[in-house]
Amino acid sequence: MSGRYLGQRVLQALGTIVAIVLLNFLLFRLMPGSPERILLRNPNLSPQVVEATRARWGLDKPLLPDQLVAYIGSTVQGDFGYSFKFRGQSVTSVIADRIGPTLLLVGLGELISAIAGIAIGAYAGWRRGGLVDRVGSGASLVLYSMPYFVIGMPLIVIFAAGLGWFPTSGMTSVGGGDRPFPANLIDLARHLALPLATVSLGLIGQYSILMRSAIIETRSEDYITTARAKGLRDGRVLRAHAFPNAMLPMVTLIAINLGYVIGGAITAEIVFSWPGLGTLTITALSARDYPVLQGIFLLVAVSVVLANLAADIIYGILDPRVRG
Amino acid sequence: MSATISVASARSQRWRLRGTRLRTFAARYSGRKDGMLGLVVLAAFTVLALAPDLFVGPLETATRATAHAFDAPSAQHFFGADDLGRDMLNRTVHGARISMTIGLLATVITLVFGVVVGLVAGYSGGLVDNVLMRVADFFLVLPTFVLALILAPVLIEVVGADAEFLGIRATLLVIVVVIGITSWAATARIIRSQTLSLKQRMFVDRARVVGVGPGRIILRHILPNVVNLIVANAVLTFATAVLTETTLSFIGLGDPFQPSWGQILNGAQSSGAAGLGAWWMIAPPAASVVLVILAFTLMGNALDDLLNPKARTRQ
Repeated sequence: MSGRYLGQRVLQALGTIVAIVLLNFLLFRLMPGSPERILLRNPNLSPQVVEATRARWGLDKPLLPDQLVAYIGSTVQGDFGYSFKFRGQSVTSVIADRIGPTLLLVGLGELISAIAGIAIGAYAGWRRGGLVDRVGSGASLVLYSMPYFVIGMPLIVIFAAGLGWFPTSGMTSVGGGDRPFPANLIDLARHLALPLATVSLGLIGQYSILMRSAIIETRSEDYITTARAKGLRDGRVLRAHAFPNAMLPMVTLIAINLGYVIGGAITAEIVFSWPGLGTLTITALSARDYPVLQGIFLLVAVSVVLANLAADIIYGILDPRVRG
Repeated sequence: MSATISVASARSQRWRLRGTRLRTFAARYSGRKDGMLGLVVLAAFTVLALAPDLFVGPLETATRATAHAFDAPSAQHFFGADDLGRDMLNRTVHGARISMTIGLLATVITLVFGVVVGLVAGYSGGLVDNVLMRVADFFLVLPTFVLALILAPVLIEVVGADAEFLGIRATLLVIVVVIGITSWAATARIIRSQTLSLKQRMFVDRARVVGVGPGRIILRHILPNVVNLIVANAVLTFATAVLTETTLSFIGLGDPFQPSWGQILNGAQSSGAAGLGAWWMIAPPAASVVLVILAFTLMGNALDDLLNPKARTRQ
């Protein structure tokens, strides 16, 4: 991987982040009368108070460049303003409170679905037309067509409401988090089971479909024929020759997928009232808490850009043909 | 005089050729089991969407409800009733109309925008191409749904939720526009790369040499040659559009007065249907969404294999 390739990718990522910040700034100012309308809702305010408030929030200065510069300045310092809904709390602290549960859900979900999807896809592609391929491909296609909440709601009906194996919502029972060591973890695991299953099932289809086609593509490569000609056993050809090469597109997909997974996790969280960024998004959405919405958007968008950059760099390291 | 005759005969020959190609294509498509299955499912839902009143009567509202709250499926109400006693079969069939109309409109906007940008960028090249493709990259990187999440409420605030256009309420139109804004880039990329390779072909050079302007070259010589790609792309775009609409309505950005499947599921979610075990409030709209998206995916894959010049060489 050449330095030029790396530099180009980093520059591109930086450009995208700048564009995201600009979009975030402009979008909020696009709304009629905002943010004055929200700050100065009371019609009985005296002109002096209105002027003082406008001066305090910097609204008396022109949009460009003063307000934009101030916005970029505070954004860079991690200051995203104050939540409308959660009075007195900064957007940063509101988001920080909710980020842990989402990371837990998305991280474990990605891990499980990547391992399972890769295993199923690799086997299905290697034994093309076999039982695993036919059942697995059919199921993958159906799962791929299901929004996360369409997977989650039946899971609640069957396993929570019907069989009563798992709780229907939340992350802990009342007082469950305060119990002594193994009990609190078991409580968490019982609450995590169904949301995690939802996220994993939602992703497995996509991963196994791509892994299958990647394996099928490598199967026709010359080096596979060579490996077979050397007299290697079938399993060894798959593990040592086909599999590592087919993993290349998977690495990219898993990294690029981050935005899609977060989007899906938002709806899964809503179904299970999981106290993460997804339920926060909905609360902010129904309260029209724009600072929080903007903060979440900025966080997700920047993470996605960074994940893409990571994918490009990893790909460049793994595949010596990439020079940019 | 003889010149006009030859132009006319060339034109009729071209039409004959197109007819033959269409028949060959239809024959090849009908050989694809998955594609045909998708087509049948889609046709069934299209019929429902065209005349919901014919099958289940007018849309049931809180005041026009015909059953009791949370009624389980029975002989009178095959799919049971929701938390306000509205017949689920009635609402699901009407949901088909809303969901598919939104999906169709969003697909049209996405395609028109994506195709125009792709053609212009690919044909002009240089600075125009560079700028347009940087913008496209920006939208490709950003997750559609997360961008839609922040765009939709802002746009609804700008136009006002109660405005109406052609009988469709503003909230739904905003969803259409948001899907368009967030998903045109993929189409633009595909069309641009095909335009780039078409531009090098002899017939484009010939047209340029006889003095045909760029606008006409794009319309008459390049556009007809990317129609295949547009068709294959349209079907997959439709699937994504229905998926995005369902998700946005589910999280509460839809319109309760014109319920799509996502909106019906939103109702089921807020009334706690899943926790109460009221599966009939979830299954009909959820199954409809999955069937329609699956049908489009199957058709899209079949069409992509048949029409996309790059996909054909695979396998």
